[in-house]
Formats: sequence, C-alpha cells, structure tokens
Amino acid sequence: MRLRRTMLYLPGNNPNMLLRGHLFNPDGLVLDLEDAVAMREKDAARILVRDVLRQGNFGTCEVTVRINGMDTSYWKEDLEAVVPAGIHGIRVPKVEDPKDMVLLDETLSEIETRAGIPLGKTLVFCLLETAKGIWRAYEIATASKRVTAIIPGGEDLTADLRTNRSAEGTELEGVRKMLVLAARAAGVDALDTVFPRITDDEGLRKEVGFIKQLGFDGKSVIHPNQIPIIHDVFTPTEKEIEKAKRIVAAAKEAAERGLGAVSVDGRMVDRPVVKRAEFTLIRAGLSEEVLS
Amino acid sequence: MKTASAGTVESMDCLVTVSEGAPGSGLSIQLSGAATARFAPTMRKAVQEVATAMGASDLSISIQDNGALDLILKARTEAALARYRGGDTA
Repeated sequence: MRLRRTMLYLPGNNPNMLLRGHLFNPDGLVLDLEDAVAMREKDAARILVRDVLRQGNFGTCEVTVRINGMDTSYWKEDLEAVVPAGIHGIRVPKVEDPKDMVLLDETLSEIETRAGIPLGKTLVFCLLETAKGIWRAYEIATASKRVTAIIPGGEDLTADLRTNRSAEGTELEGVRKMLVLAARAAGVDALDTVFPRITDDEGLRKEVGFIKQLGFDGKSVIHPNQIPIIHDVFTPTEKEIEKAKRIVAAAKEAAERGLGAVSVDGRMVDRPVVKRAEFTLIRAGLSEEVLS
Repeated sequence: MKTASAGTVESMDCLVTVSEGAPGSGLSIQLSGAATARFAPTMRKAVQEVATAMGASDLSISIQDNGALDLILKARTEAALARYRGGDTA
C-alpha cells in the first residue's frame, strides 16, 4: 500500500520545478502536460517531461503525468512520450465515460508491449471534473484494473454544477461524499482536489481535516508549502499510533496462536478494526510493523 | 529568414533558437549566459548530439543559457529543431 497524502503538481514546461519538485518530499508528483502548459508549448513540454522522466531522479515519490484530455488530439502523443520513459501512473483529466478507460487501457497495453514494460504496470488516476463523471465514478473506477484512484475536480466541477467555490466548500460536500463511497466500493483511493488559496494555511488545515474525516486518502497539491500541513493532518497522533500498535500486536499474537478473535485492552476487536490500525501505522511510516 | 525557438530564459532553463545556415556550413553554435565560459565544451557536445541524431545540419543554433542542465539543453534543442523542421516558428 502506497501513501498518497500529497501529490504535487509540477508545470510541465518548467525545468526548475520538474527537477526540484521531489525535494519538497510529497508522497507523489504530477508532472503536468495539461492546464499548466500553454497550447503553443505542448510540444516542448512533452519533450522536456519525457527527458526529465528518463533521468529518473525523484527520490521516493510516486511519479505520474497528467496528460491532455482524451477529447484533445494530444493524449496519445503524450502517452507515447512518457510511458516508455518510466512512470508509475497517468492522471487523466475530465473522465466521464467508462468506455474511455477501456480505450486508455488498450492504448497503454500497446505502448507497454512495444516498450518492454510489464503489461498493466502503468496505473491510472482519474480526474472527475463534471457532474456526469462524478455520477459514473464507480463505473469509471471499475472499468479498468489500472484505475488506482479517483479525484474530484475543483473549478471545472463547480462550474458544471452551476455554482462557484466558497471558503467553506459547501458546493463540493456532496460530491466528495459520493466520490469516497465510489472509491471504497471500487477498491481504489480517493484523492481530493487542490486547495487554491496558497497563503491560507488555516483554511487548508481545516479542509484537510474535513476530507480526512470523510475518508479521503490524500490531496492534490499546487504549492510546496501546503505539503507539511497536509502531512501533519494525515499523520496519526502518538495516542493513535500506540493504540494501533497494541491492536496489530494482539492480532499477530492471535494469528500465531491460531485464534480467530483478537482481544485488546480487554475488548474484542474485529478484522476491520485491525485493518484500520494497520493503516494508521502505514500513515505513521511504520509499515514494517504491519501484519500483512 | 526561417527561425524557430524553444525554451525560456528562466532559472535552470535555456532559450534555443535555430536559424538557417549557408549550404555546406554544417552546424554553427553560439552560446551566451553566465556559465557558458565554464561549460561551453559539454554544452556544444550536447547540442551536437541532438542535431546529429535528428540529421540536422547547415543551421545556426543560438543558446541563451540560464543554468540549464545538459538534459534540459538537449530537450530544448530537440524541441527547437522539431519546430524548425515542422515550420512552426513559435
């Protein structure tokens, strides 16, 4: 299981950010060929991102590329350039039809085969930026085994909902709940949209607390300063870690002794609670203590 | 005169401009920027490698460098040459 608390967008035509983004220690990077790149720079950005990927110095980050939408003429060229260069996944904007995921899966398979990359290795992160995309989130998330996360849009989605973004985020509340539900049903990660007000640290902290409580696994990031705040909110407290350790230790002991039931602090604990405790330890960076 | 360029003069980037050279003149490479005095040989080699791989010659290539690593210089050279070839004079 990979932590995806923060996935930092890096403008695809900016060498400085592309080369240094990983130094801010996000869990993942999104090298952006879409909105961050002007139309007339698409060709140069594609070459630049490909070569930065080939160099491959990204620390421990999960490396993904946001390609141009499947309704543009760029997406296949984007894939041809970046998939053979070595990436963990593709972030696809404006997904609203499960059939597109099937087409994307086939196209990725062709490229992987030609490039000698294990079939199915390239994961897919779907941006759902329209009402239709959110409505069909579960179908989209299950349309291909490659889909590993779904992400709601921010600006585009609120425009499609005929509203606008507020400080409270009221307009996205229902969408976020639907998205987590679809993600859990499909067995993929739920990653949140960006927080656009880059100097509003308190607002960010509040929003991250909210989306964590809803069940999100992490958030897209547009400024490196947002990373430590998001990690802080997603990192379990000492008390949570200690409790999780006790639960996992008891589960291990029960498994070794061939017992089905687990008892912690005099109370019976069932399997979902053990799973949650394991996840707490993973989030705390203690994955070596996890049972499975 | 036909020209094409790619890149920027921002930090860690370079602006590569390709223009037509005289027939039989091969490649003429001009470098400018603070670090070029020190790194000129490796920068020329990087540009030449890309041009050779793309079969480009009889061209004048001008580099305005602002601390670009070789891999960035190569990517910008490839983009500029592709634009020159494609008739895109962006």
